[in-house]
Amino acid sequence: MLVIIERQPTIAFFSFQLINMKQKRTALSPEEQKLFGDLMPEELEEVLDSGLHRRHFLKLMSLATAGLLASHLIGAEQLFARAADIDDIQDLIPGAIENGVNLSFNVNSKATKVLVDSRMTLLDTLRERIGLTGSKKGCDHGQCGACTVIVDGNRVLSCLTLAATCEGKSVITIEGLAKGNELNPMQAAFLKHDGFQCGYCTPGQICSAVALMKEAKEGQASFVTKDIRAQQQGILLTDEEISERMSGNICRCGAYPNIVAAIKEAQTGKSVEQNWLFVG
Amino acid sequence: MEKEEKNKSIGKGIDRIDGILKITGKATYATDYPAKNMAFAVLFKSTIAAGRITSIDAEAAKKSPGVLTVITHENAPKLNVKGGLRGGALLQGPEILFYGQHIGLVVAETFEQATAASHLIKVTYQQEAHQKTDFEHEAKTPVMPKGKELQDFVKGGGKAAVKTAEVTLEAQYETPIEHHHPMEPHSTVAIWEGDHVTLYNGSQIINGAQTAAAATLNLKPEQVRIVSPYIGGGFGSKGGQWANLVLCAVAAKVVKRPVKLALSRQQMFNSVGLRQRNIQKITLGATKDGKLNTLAHETISHTAINDEYIEPCGDCSKIMYDAPNALISYRSVPMHVILPTYTRGPGKSTGSFALESAMDELAHKLRMDPIDLRIKNEPKEDPSNGKPWSSRTTVQCLKEGAKAFGWEKRKMEPGVNKIGDDLVGYGVACGTYPARQRDSSAAVKLSLKNGQVFATVEIAASDLGTGTNTILAQTAADGLGIPVSQITMNIGDSSLPPAAGSVGSVGASSFANAVNDACTKITDELLAKSGKQFFVRPTARELMISENIAAFQIRSDSKAPVDADQYSCHSFNANFAEVRINSVTGMIKVTRFLAVTGAGKILNPKTARSQIIGGNVWGIGMALSEESIIDPRYGNFATRSFADYHVPSNLDVGKLDAMFINEIDLVPNKMGVKGIGEVGIVGVAAAIANAVFNATGKRIRNLPITPDKILV
Amino acid sequence: MNPFKFSMAQNQSQAVNMLVSNNSAALLGGGTNLLDLMKEHVAAPTELIDITRLELKTIEKNALGISLGALAKNTDTANHPIIRSDYPLLSKAILAGASAQIRNMATNGGNLLQRTRCSYFYDIAMPCNKREPGSGCAAMEGFNRMHAIFGWSDQCVAVYPSDMAVALSALRASVRVLQQDGSSRNIAFDDFHILPGQHPEKDNSLKHGELITSIEIPENKLAAHSAYVKVRDRNSYAFALVSVAAGLALEGARIGDAHISMGGVAHKPWRALKAEAFLKGKTASTANFRAAAKAEMAAAKPLSHNKFKVEMGINSITNALEMALKG
Repeated sequence: MLVIIERQPTIAFFSFQLINMKQKRTALSPEEQKLFGDLMPEELEEVLDSGLHRRHFLKLMSLATAGLLASHLIGAEQLFARAADIDDIQDLIPGAIENGVNLSFNVNSKATKVLVDSRMTLLDTLRERIGLTGSKKGCDHGQCGACTVIVDGNRVLSCLTLAATCEGKSVITIEGLAKGNELNPMQAAFLKHDGFQCGYCTPGQICSAVALMKEAKEGQASFVTKDIRAQQQGILLTDEEISERMSGNICRCGAYPNIVAAIKEAQTGKSVEQNWLFVG
Repeated sequence: MEKEEKNKSIGKGIDRIDGILKITGKATYATDYPAKNMAFAVLFKSTIAAGRITSIDAEAAKKSPGVLTVITHENAPKLNVKGGLRGGALLQGPEILFYGQHIGLVVAETFEQATAASHLIKVTYQQEAHQKTDFEHEAKTPVMPKGKELQDFVKGGGKAAVKTAEVTLEAQYETPIEHHHPMEPHSTVAIWEGDHVTLYNGSQIINGAQTAAAATLNLKPEQVRIVSPYIGGGFGSKGGQWANLVLCAVAAKVVKRPVKLALSRQQMFNSVGLRQRNIQKITLGATKDGKLNTLAHETISHTAINDEYIEPCGDCSKIMYDAPNALISYRSVPMHVILPTYTRGPGKSTGSFALESAMDELAHKLRMDPIDLRIKNEPKEDPSNGKPWSSRTTVQCLKEGAKAFGWEKRKMEPGVNKIGDDLVGYGVACGTYPARQRDSSAAVKLSLKNGQVFATVEIAASDLGTGTNTILAQTAADGLGIPVSQITMNIGDSSLPPAAGSVGSVGASSFANAVNDACTKITDELLAKSGKQFFVRPTARELMISENIAAFQIRSDSKAPVDADQYSCHSFNANFAEVRINSVTGMIKVTRFLAVTGAGKILNPKTARSQIIGGNVWGIGMALSEESIIDPRYGNFATRSFADYHVPSNLDVGKLDAMFINEIDLVPNKMGVKGIGEVGIVGVAAAIANAVFNATGKRIRNLPITPDKILV
Repeated sequence: MNPFKFSMAQNQSQAVNMLVSNNSAALLGGGTNLLDLMKEHVAAPTELIDITRLELKTIEKNALGISLGALAKNTDTANHPIIRSDYPLLSKAILAGASAQIRNMATNGGNLLQRTRCSYFYDIAMPCNKREPGSGCAAMEGFNRMHAIFGWSDQCVAVYPSDMAVALSALRASVRVLQQDGSSRNIAFDDFHILPGQHPEKDNSLKHGELITSIEIPENKLAAHSAYVKVRDRNSYAFALVSVAAGLALEGARIGDAHISMGGVAHKPWRALKAEAFLKGKTASTANFRAAAKAEMAAAKPLSHNKFKVEMGINSITNALEMALKG
């Protein structure tokens, strides 16, 4: 007999391993307020007053290991979704920067200034100087896509982008995809469809997929587009089109079919079923 | 069955509990850990394969801006080279045993400065007269391997019995060097506090990394802490640990600062092991109606010049089919190449390519359906040792798979199924992997707050994308009677109760049984504490509430059932591939693939499916594109980046389906978990190669099947 | 990477002047290949001149055809409405290359200046005449499966990797260059990339101090009948084993003109002149396509590991022409 198991409603819980998340003067949602009120009542006023700081998260982490955070999931999920604050530039000693370039740009909707070595890539700048470690280094040579970020609306490889060339530009990383406390629909679709295993290529995959939505909207063509001469906007991408357009993002765990399903769901807004089969 | 488990979490395809962190960029991999005053280390490597370093001139590098130190064999601290790390290269002497051996590292203020300075090092070598880097040449004079399990296995009359067979088949299959290439290159952040060091480092075996690092650094295990909550893939390469782990600690000790050391993608080719090249000869003898009388599987593999690792290519041949006469043999070719290591489905993936291709060839020769040939030779007991199967699902996998895949549409005659320029073919192949449980411990901590019970589960398990966090939370939920949302998982840290590793498909069974046992134990102890008798055994949650206990915790230690080794315990699968081949360009696409797997209890079908299709994608890479080439003149890899070494891209993968056999087999372990990480790749390459034959009539016996091999 | 000075050019003449004043300076466009080479220490300029702010991004029709700004991105070029309708061969070839991310970064001028992907060229521990003249060619007797079958020399067997350029060759484009003295010159596409000869260190006829400003493509009469075929080791995101850009100008059933260029077979986009000559005036048929392909490939000189490229070339030319015929 063939039994198809329907997708079950899911409950997510996570072990807290939160480092480098810098929130500041961000209004708390009612759920978050409840979270802090319950768990850290003595700090609530401070949080409301001066915003979230890393020490608050460290305390949350210690509470989480005592198993206390679990009942406040909704608030916690919102915290994760939120863009990280980025006013905590890591300063280096003077000798650590050669041919310094003063860079002003916008990272996840926040004006950012940082002095960088002319050799520093955007990827290393995000990770090592600005504390945004979501973007990953998989090959450092433009051959895997793990470092994909969105610059001025387009997906690019941050490992092949010199930070110095980003003057005045706007960069969106995985940390900046959610709107306020709400996950980007692409993030939610990746979670639902298990569009990853180890998760290392995931920030790049999701940034790539988010920018792909814009490309489809604009009617951009791909190598597998049947008639390159016929032009239209707002293309509904087939599985093959999604695969070709996402081939710049290598996933060694092999989550490709799930990634395609997630993107399909995010593009159409319609639920794409993910089935596993049991027999016997 | 579904009904019974309605209130259970185990068996439900819930989302990964750590998924939210992965989709928001907040999961912390080794190099994501910040530290004040971090310094950066970059390794540099030998550019000869065999010989010795006669001098290293590091003066220019030392003077280069930002450089803190240069460490080579001339000034490296004395390490214990037999501490348990794999592959040597610990900077303990001038000898060079393979191309790309680490010969030093530069530590500087920034990654940019360390990298630039590493190019200023001048090394002179004395090369050995005969460097063993030419596999073709060295394979002519292989030697007997040392490993006990690699000695000749002879059953009945051995290979010689083939002379008595009505139909024979002899064929040689070749598989190339493959690299694991997890997306996260091996990386470490080392932070010393006094004589204790914390190593943030992706580790499939947390405690193994701890003991190997400690022994190599001449420390006690408790002086080393491994932190590895998230691992960016491993596939065997982060099982045993390599020199980079300890060299990062050495660098941090020397510069008295936290140090970050990440291998470059190029360095990944010769720093962390590989799947070696194999030549496999299969000899089959059968009756005209397809009953095997002889099965011989002879493998020649290379290993390091001073250390042995041979992947067990003959393992599938030992147990898959009933042949009264058998030979399984290994011969070894020591070479000046980095030590090979466990690579997804070690031995079974490559070995099944040979065996299952040969079975397909024999079926074609006999004009038999390859499924029928396999079923005809289904063994009633383990042919290698006579033990009963704990359970065996091969035939069921074949039959259910054939039905679901539409096997009846396969044309018996190869090369006749055409759509325009495209040739379409179907292939089938079987696979297997042992089911084992290893010693593991777990702690469960319960607390009661506002009438709700919360649990924290602690175990030094690892999750390299396999779903460990999620399945253990599900196990604890059922074991304690509380929802997954009230469970905190704490894994990936050597300070937690020790556990087996995520290797050889022992992770899920070892970890889940440990957690399950801990849940049973804490319930038992709460029951005892209550001093009451119950008609129906209450859950830990109910006891915490009824007895109003604020906090309670236990730790338990689990072992495999004592009688498990009286049986032969394995997962089994059947793989079905449909390929479409452009006859003009020779380009191949796997348009459909179905893996049917009997692996006991499936703890979470969503993550299990991902594991299986992930293994299938690995198999697609093995079949069609992955190959690394050593240039024998130098001993280096001519394939040295992701541009040369082709892992599958999204477009290389068509529709993949995973089907599981509902199977209850409590022999291997109490939870009936057999493991799926490895079996997912076993048989995949053969199914694809068999489909290529069915599509084109071309039998390609050396992987990968690239377009040139189709055309010529 | 070695330390380098980072400069930004505000206009074309400033860019040229900056380049002229430093012999070891390099221009930085998309950087997708240059940064890769710098990280491998194959390239080590002492100064990078960022030219991405220059106004060389327009794609516009003119009396002779169309002009592609040197700094227009590959993505924008491939998706430009006129390119898609009138030069679909170019769109297709660009889209066959690299990944969406790289095409978003890569500029048209930079695409032409890509260096070979020969792994011996990239590995600074290996001899390579292109990287270090006089050091030898490791690929000649080494692993040369990806390498040339046409036009190689005893110094170098590397192939040029661009897909876009193969289409530009078939489209008879030219490269417009701003010279040191402020004047411009046009380089016919065939003369832009050069064969290795005794100087494989030179990929093209550009001189230090020159700036590509645009690529000019004449009016395209082949739009209705063109195709780009790319054979590679995986289905996407891989360099070509062999690629073919083909276009047919048909006069009824007869071939008025055939344009055929190949990638993955030589140190430059390889004009299949023999095949083109064979087809002129002949009936557009598979038999003629195959005969033309054979005529071209008969002159191939494969290396030890790439004999398959001959058969693959014959098939690919035939296939590209068939696809072009179908339109």
